[in-house]
Amino acid sequence: MSFWRRFCRNRSAVVGLIILAIVVLIAASAHLLFPEDPFKLVGQSMSPPGENGFLFGSDTLGRDVAAGMAHGARVSLLIGLIATTVAVSLGVLLGAFAGYFGGWVDDVLMRVTEMFQTIPSFIFAILIVAIMKPSINSVIIAIAVVSWPAVARLVRGEFLAMRNREFVQACHIIGMSDWRIMVREILPNCLSPIIVTGSLMVATAILIESGLAFLGLGDPNIISWGFQIGAGRTVLRSAWWVCTFPGIAIMLTVLAINLVGEGLNDAMNPRLRERT
Amino acid sequence: MRSRLYSRPERPTSIVVKRALSSVCLAVGLIASTQALSQTAGGTMVMIAQPEPPSLAPYLSTSGPIGLVAPKIYNGLLDYDLDLNTVPELAESYTVSDDGLTVTFALREGVKWHDGEPFTSADVQFSIMDVLKQFHPRGPNSFREVSSIDTPDELTAVFNLDAPAPYMMRAFSAYESPIVPRHLLEGEDIRASDLANNPVGTGPFKFVEWKKGQYIRLDKNEDYWKEGLPLLDRIVARIIPDASTRTAAMESGEVHYGAFGAIPNIDVVRMRESDDIGVTTDGYAMINPMALIEMNTTKAPFDNPVMRQAISMAIDRQFLIDNIWFGYGKPATSAMTSNFEPLGLYSATPEFYPESPDVDAANALLDEAGITADAEGTRASAVVDLIPYGEDWRRAGEYMKQALADIGVDLELRYEDVPTWLKRIYADYDFELNVNYFYQLPDPVIGVQRHYGTDQIRQGTPFVNSTRYSNSDIDELLAAGAIEVDPTARGEIYAQIQAILGEELPVVNLFEMEFLTVYNEKLKDHTVSAMGAYHSFDRAYIEE
Repeated sequence: MSFWRRFCRNRSAVVGLIILAIVVLIAASAHLLFPEDPFKLVGQSMSPPGENGFLFGSDTLGRDVAAGMAHGARVSLLIGLIATTVAVSLGVLLGAFAGYFGGWVDDVLMRVTEMFQTIPSFIFAILIVAIMKPSINSVIIAIAVVSWPAVARLVRGEFLAMRNREFVQACHIIGMSDWRIMVREILPNCLSPIIVTGSLMVATAILIESGLAFLGLGDPNIISWGFQIGAGRTVLRSAWWVCTFPGIAIMLTVLAINLVGEGLNDAMNPRLRERT
Repeated sequence: MRSRLYSRPERPTSIVVKRALSSVCLAVGLIASTQALSQTAGGTMVMIAQPEPPSLAPYLSTSGPIGLVAPKIYNGLLDYDLDLNTVPELAESYTVSDDGLTVTFALREGVKWHDGEPFTSADVQFSIMDVLKQFHPRGPNSFREVSSIDTPDELTAVFNLDAPAPYMMRAFSAYESPIVPRHLLEGEDIRASDLANNPVGTGPFKFVEWKKGQYIRLDKNEDYWKEGLPLLDRIVARIIPDASTRTAAMESGEVHYGAFGAIPNIDVVRMRESDDIGVTTDGYAMINPMALIEMNTTKAPFDNPVMRQAISMAIDRQFLIDNIWFGYGKPATSAMTSNFEPLGLYSATPEFYPESPDVDAANALLDEAGITADAEGTRASAVVDLIPYGEDWRRAGEYMKQALADIGVDLELRYEDVPTWLKRIYADYDFELNVNYFYQLPDPVIGVQRHYGTDQIRQGTPFVNSTRYSNSDIDELLAAGAIEVDPTARGEIYAQIQAILGEELPVVNLFEMEFLTVYNEKLKDHTVSAMGAYHSFDRAYIEE
């Protein structure tokens, strides 16, 4: 059965994929839908949804909430993807070394990983951003720093299980270098759990970014969903729409990514699916 | 749960009896004064202290939350009514000599400290010379001309000055210059004294307990020197860190009083419709907060006054007030607040403080000065720092970024934590524009001079001249204004100062801020002085 057909057997994953596709489409066409700077004060402040030409209303300064959401989608997705890429790369590298070589390399790397794992990740992210000045780079770094340990442990486990398998021993015998065995032989065999974990990490990254921006630790020059919620929080009782719509956007996107991740898991590990 | 304990004003049975009695009295048409008494005396007032005070040592720190609590415990020599006239407190009267070099205070008789010791002129001498002039943040400035204080008898204190200091007469409130007990502080390390946590004053309320993170409790001083006062039996200052919890506590009647924006403006807009809750902007005349932009006059293009003028002209001050501060505030029209008008010191400089923004004129000014735009319409790029005191200032920054884009100034916003920000602006001078607010205080010598004087370029001291603006004309005028005793002449000097600063604009004032006091309508006579929340509350009462 093809990968695609297996994926489609999971209905909710397909729904997730559709939602995600819409979000990506809106993000990609944000500059066409809303050519103005989303920070621009374009009209009557605190207009309810549907009034004064604002689909989702306007905030306290008269900025278009819908425009902010479209441009914010871009930022949220971008931060999610970049932070996850950084975290996965770091995690794979360290996990692979630890799992493949074992011994003291494993000990050292895993103790370091555990050190990171013992600190509650969101608090740690707040700390990192607070130490550096809040900017898009520091947010990405913070998310990556708190996310890589999970990947490292996962990859280590996979490498540990593979390194004594016959095909790896065969590679040793024909004189392949360690690096080549790791990259060309073992890594492709443990790619599917990494992809599944990575896809779910994008959702977590978006949540962390939103949380940071909500607390006022986001980049003040860049609009994101968390920023919109943070800015609208104080007026929740008089202008509910300012933080409600970006909140729904975060919820839908994170849900969609989780569903897609689940679908990927089913499609890539077909045997797991048979348990149900 | 604990909060409930303090939420309900305690009503001792005697009050109930008095109330019952009073209705009887009324019914039979007897003495009306009994009724007045029964309405007013007794009860517990719950106020919000936000944030928690670092100590209760008003002689060491001017921190706002200390000011909410300490003036209930300590007295000053004078108080100031809502029109800034002096009112006697520990001093029954004072006289200033014709040359302005001697100020004699006649002190009140029979005043006792909370521990029973008598209050004398020696306490005044010690408080001013050994405590406030040495350790208070603004004391060295307020009392800089005071060379000595003579105490010919126990109830007379004579201040000897090196030069006239008219501004000093506005610095004698319980908040600004509390009179502290000499017998408890003399010979002690003033900064380390336990008095900071167990204050002993002469004021209407005695300190009882401080549960850190929860509340501070003060009880009525039965031996208070004002006959029949205070009216309240108890004041509880509750510490409630979360803004929406404070709003909820005010709405439910759990707390009676919250000042200095303890209740966010947006909630006030909704709450002021309620019959049970009142809002006032009175009681801040001694503080005069001004929102402003400090401009680094050593960095291009902000070293050019034309650039600063253009920025001042492009900003819609009313927009900031309406949309971010929800209508509370007044557009700035000069380097000084219009609240100095009753003192005769204020004069408007409308040229670069237009009533509504004039983007075209601002652009024309810049073109004329040769500050031209590149292909993308950008004349200058700059980072603007925002005072890290809350969301409102971020919104203000976001507005400014949009507004200044119209005159080709491309802003990047920077928002850091308080220590980093203070260091950047006042120690490293590593900034271009800084959005901030300053207290202009009751007199320009105390609140305005620190912005502009060359001698106020004090690297490392926060909230002084960060723009490094230096103009010998201004320095001379400031020095002359500080010692001029004649009000008319003084007004003329400050008019000249404002005219120069209105053109040079090292600091562009945005708007005169209005802090809000929100109170339960049952609480009466809480804002009776220019000190507002920093007053003793000896006349406040709760009407049942």
